[in-house]
Amino acid sequence: MRYLKTSEAAALLNVSPNTLRAWERRFGFPKPQRSPGKHRLFTHGEVAALRDALQEGLSISSAISRAREGLAADANSLVGALVSYDRERADAAIEAALALRSVERSVEEVLLPTLDEISRRYSVESAAWAFAAHWATDWLRRAIRLTPPPVRPVSIVVGDASRDELDRDAPYIRALELFCVRAGIKVLSLSARGVAGIGDAANVHRPNLVVVAGGHLDDDTVARWAYAIRLAVGAMPLAIYRRGAERPRTRGTGTTVLPSGAGDAQRALLDLLESDHVAATPSASAAAAGARAQIRSVRGFQ
Amino acid sequence: MVNRTAHGRPALRLVVAPELEPAPPSVWFCSHCGARSSTSGKLVKPPVSRVCGACGLGLLIEAAEDVAPRTGDAFLVLDRALSVCAVSHGAEQLLATREPDVVNRHVTDLLMPADAEEEAGENLSVAVAWAARGDSATRTTVVRPANTFGIRLTARIAPCGPQRAALVVLE
Repeated sequence: MRYLKTSEAAALLNVSPNTLRAWERRFGFPKPQRSPGKHRLFTHGEVAALRDALQEGLSISSAISRAREGLAADANSLVGALVSYDRERADAAIEAALALRSVERSVEEVLLPTLDEISRRYSVESAAWAFAAHWATDWLRRAIRLTPPPVRPVSIVVGDASRDELDRDAPYIRALELFCVRAGIKVLSLSARGVAGIGDAANVHRPNLVVVAGGHLDDDTVARWAYAIRLAVGAMPLAIYRRGAERPRTRGTGTTVLPSGAGDAQRALLDLLESDHVAATPSASAAAAGARAQIRSVRGFQ
Repeated sequence: MVNRTAHGRPALRLVVAPELEPAPPSVWFCSHCGARSSTSGKLVKPPVSRVCGACGLGLLIEAAEDVAPRTGDAFLVLDRALSVCAVSHGAEQLLATREPDVVNRHVTDLLMPADAEEEAGENLSVAVAWAARGDSATRTTVVRPANTFGIRLTARIAPCGPQRAALVVLE
């Protein structure tokens, strides 16, 4: 993936940096990422697609529309590969998407919309969905394994409350884990079904935050799991992801409902983790007092 | 014209072309603000960058000087499928819309014919289709905003480009 600074992207498009920033405000395209120093970083593929579209366009809007159509072709080709049960073509399609976008945007703009489209078109009981979900989970797990070790001094535990990898929420949960790992967060992913030995796992990992993700498991099972974690490492913030509540909101108990999009959820988690309240690892003495409140908050959101 | 070589075989021969009618003078203008690119008025060369240097929010389009809009004019650019390709800042204000919201939509989402007695050649869609094909004749028709009754606007329709398209200037 090749990135361009604002001045480089502006030079490629033969416009001034101010014009490029004006396009971003008015049209939302090209959409830059931010460097650690908060500078804009444009993907070369987007800028090149726009440059070509500008040659034949009659307005900036129509050129951007054409460039976007070209970029959307990746999602269509991935849908075609997955419903044809063609793993190699699917790998090639996501590679093509990665040539133009970052990993996060490839997942958010190509992989997850593709899965949504397949589940909508064929239902989650279909063979097409089974193949697509398995391929996507495999790809996301591979991407997590290939990510460099975490650099932030923060960690989270993800309690997976989805049914299995065929659950519609499962790819979103894996995507959230991938985004968090890529953001330098240490992530421990556990099934929210099992509480045996959960204290040992939590003590080794020392999480700053717990995420309950997925809506398949019932409230009592999830509450028992959250209680076991809290008993082991003490009170800590709890976030809920894709568990039935669509609107992000925060309760007085400290439970936060994350947005349903994986990227938005990762940003919300980063905000939570970087706040002073979360940065300090909670003491074990607060465990018993906070546990009941946390269980209530988990139940309250179902 | 077929000529014969010394060996009697047919061969093509260059002939002087008849005098062509000089093309009307053209100008480059911005698809957003309508500002005309600065030229001396004699020979208009294609601009180095197609992005408007004045506002940065439009592409430079070429049209005949007598039909091209001026800065602040309300105008649209439509393709031969009658889809909206560009909406100027003046047209955005006149029609209460934003270009990114209406681009690629059909022209009737923005404008409707408003003259019940117009001739076939002055019909909005026919005039746009002819202009988008490159017919150099300038046509006028009467239109109204699609969502508003009681307002009549004169639309001046002429070809523009590149790519070939129809310029609809609202007066």
